[in-house]
Amino acid sequence: MPPLAQHQVSGRRRRSPLPYTWQRGYLLASPALLVMLAILIYPLGYSFIMSFFRWDLSGSAPFVGMGNYADELSGRQFNQALRNQAIFSVISITIEVVAGMAIAVLVNGKLRGMRLARTLLLVPPMIAPAVVGLNFRWLFNTQYGLVDALLRMFNLPDIPWLNDPTWALVSVIVADVWQNTPLMVLLFLAGLQSLPQEPLEAATVDGATPWQRFWHIVLPLMRPVIMIALMLRIIDTFRTFDVVWLMTQGGPGGATNLLTVYSYLLAFQAVDFGHAAAVSYIALGMSMFVLGLLYGVPWLIAKRRAI
Amino acid sequence: MSANLSRRKFLAASAAVTAGSLAAPWIARADANEITALLITGGPLYPKYWEKIVQDFTAKTGVKVRYDLLEFTPLTAKVVTLSAARSSQYDVYSTHTAQIDSYFNHFAPLNSYFSDSELAEFYPVAVKYLRDPKTGNLAAIPRNMDSRVQYYRSDIYQEKGLKPAETWEELVDVGLKLTGNGHYGLVVPGQGDPAQRTFSDLLWQAGGDWVDQANKPAFNSEAGIKALTFYRDLIQKHKIVPPDAVGYQWNENSTEFSSGTVYANFDWPGAFATLSNPETSRVVGKWSTAPYVRDKAAISCAISHAMALNGQSGRKEAAVEFIKYTVGPQAQRLQFDQFTNFPSSQAIAKEVIAAAKGPQAVWLQQLETTIANGKEWPKLAGFSKVCTLMFSAIEQALSDQVSPADSLNQAATEAEEIMRRAGAYD
Repeated sequence: MPPLAQHQVSGRRRRSPLPYTWQRGYLLASPALLVMLAILIYPLGYSFIMSFFRWDLSGSAPFVGMGNYADELSGRQFNQALRNQAIFSVISITIEVVAGMAIAVLVNGKLRGMRLARTLLLVPPMIAPAVVGLNFRWLFNTQYGLVDALLRMFNLPDIPWLNDPTWALVSVIVADVWQNTPLMVLLFLAGLQSLPQEPLEAATVDGATPWQRFWHIVLPLMRPVIMIALMLRIIDTFRTFDVVWLMTQGGPGGATNLLTVYSYLLAFQAVDFGHAAAVSYIALGMSMFVLGLLYGVPWLIAKRRAI
Repeated sequence: MSANLSRRKFLAASAAVTAGSLAAPWIARADANEITALLITGGPLYPKYWEKIVQDFTAKTGVKVRYDLLEFTPLTAKVVTLSAARSSQYDVYSTHTAQIDSYFNHFAPLNSYFSDSELAEFYPVAVKYLRDPKTGNLAAIPRNMDSRVQYYRSDIYQEKGLKPAETWEELVDVGLKLTGNGHYGLVVPGQGDPAQRTFSDLLWQAGGDWVDQANKPAFNSEAGIKALTFYRDLIQKHKIVPPDAVGYQWNENSTEFSSGTVYANFDWPGAFATLSNPETSRVVGKWSTAPYVRDKAAISCAISHAMALNGQSGRKEAAVEFIKYTVGPQAQRLQFDQFTNFPSSQAIAKEVIAAAKGPQAVWLQQLETTIANGKEWPKLAGFSKVCTLMFSAIEQALSDQVSPADSLNQAATEAEEIMRRAGAYD
């Protein structure tokens, strides 16, 4: 029944001051839209404008056009942060997706203790990133840390986790993987449990091995779930801050500086909001570009095949 | 009850609650006899200290102070944010010499509220580096001085027949004799502002300076390269400093010394109280102090925690009264008694030194000498950004990613461009 008719048949007739038009829809939604504008669009727009000005606390804020963007794109520190971001995102996401899928397949089986395992998997994503950062900083301390203490117990050499540039990046990746792989497991587990059983049963009858069933049936059917998981993690890695800040503050010497950490340093230590805003928008542009590729490439391939 | 609650009544009540909550901040601000302050904290004693200061001030003047406490890093971030927003939320801010050049346009000048004779009471180094070099305006007033002396394990030194180092060479020599079996002869910070301060000390000690006569970067001079090379070698070549020090700041350094893992540290005045307290130190009674080391000179930084007046404040007179109280004799003595914070007033410092006995008197004299001869990096336009650049440059050299010379030369080129853009040479 159309809304107008429904209205007319209700008990007491009430006169509506406005007809049911699209304008009325917008009018009713306007409080929510205004709140959205105030808390979401306004700061976004304001910071975007800020990125075109030399915006510090000096009192004057001259317009510099694309100057802040050009400075950063040709700057040493930004390029180091960008390289770190690429390494951090690609390695973290790859490990999380591959390990997440493997663990999901394992806990999807009817083995003893799997219920407990699934419950325990909820723990890492529930812990605040700041706590994760502090714990890993402690675990990776060369003198007192548990990890190097264990290595020493087995007569293995110490690893300079947080004081060597390469190992420091490995350390923050390990912390990120520890916290986020279980989330991938939960997503993939939900996907696996909702897969149709008929194709798998048919493949079993046809004599397909478990690996063949996984590779040729499960994985293609799981593609939408994997895409969602990838999308979530790409967005997340481009805004990772707490764990890295607590573990290394982007150090040593910028070796773990991600775009968010670099932007924070520019805004709150260098007091340079113009460049900080430019870095944030470059990061936003990059994450959108990667997401675009993630959706666009399969879509183009599918379209070409259809032709 | 639900039967009586019509949609109209519900909406009216909601609107009233919303209007009330929106009006609340203005209603709260309407009290003319009240000011607001954003104050620094650190350690369990600080909140009690501010509570006492505020109570005493209110009892004396009748002006109430509503205040929030934050530790140094979040406090700095909040002051930056509020200054950018031109907020009048707080009338008074705790601040520091480190980034004062960023606030020259946001803190109201205090020189008009203090006579020349009142300003002459404070250590000249503190007042000098809180002034805008362009306008001469005083952006903040020093509350306490911060400089470093050497803290060393007197029991271990005596056992091994060693004396605290006086020169750079002796620092390495003594450190090598003490390092081993999980212990280190020395700890130095290797990250952020603390690393820059340590480099700064070594730069001055080696005869260098941050900028030349024309305010162009000069920290990449021969002296600067020597200083950063020596600093790096303490960690990477001589290995007398824990390797994790490249990620350490002041707290980690203090913990390494107070836990007994390292045998020497260059620490600030508050360390004297912390190290004397069995609740915060495992080495009570086992340490002593000595002057900072020297190379060509024996210079160290002398900085100050300070109080500033928000330029947007609508209650400047009352706020200034509070600022004056926090740097007055009573407050300065109280902060020395509670945290061994060194007074910014020369007269109070002399009183405190005269009243001290034994090791504390020796330490205070060492500290006073360091402060009287101390320096701070220049307060030129854009130097806050140069500091951030320097954090990275120093850390890269300390973690052996780049040679000290390459790191400083690259930083000097970028620093000049940053200062030029910020108007330091206009």
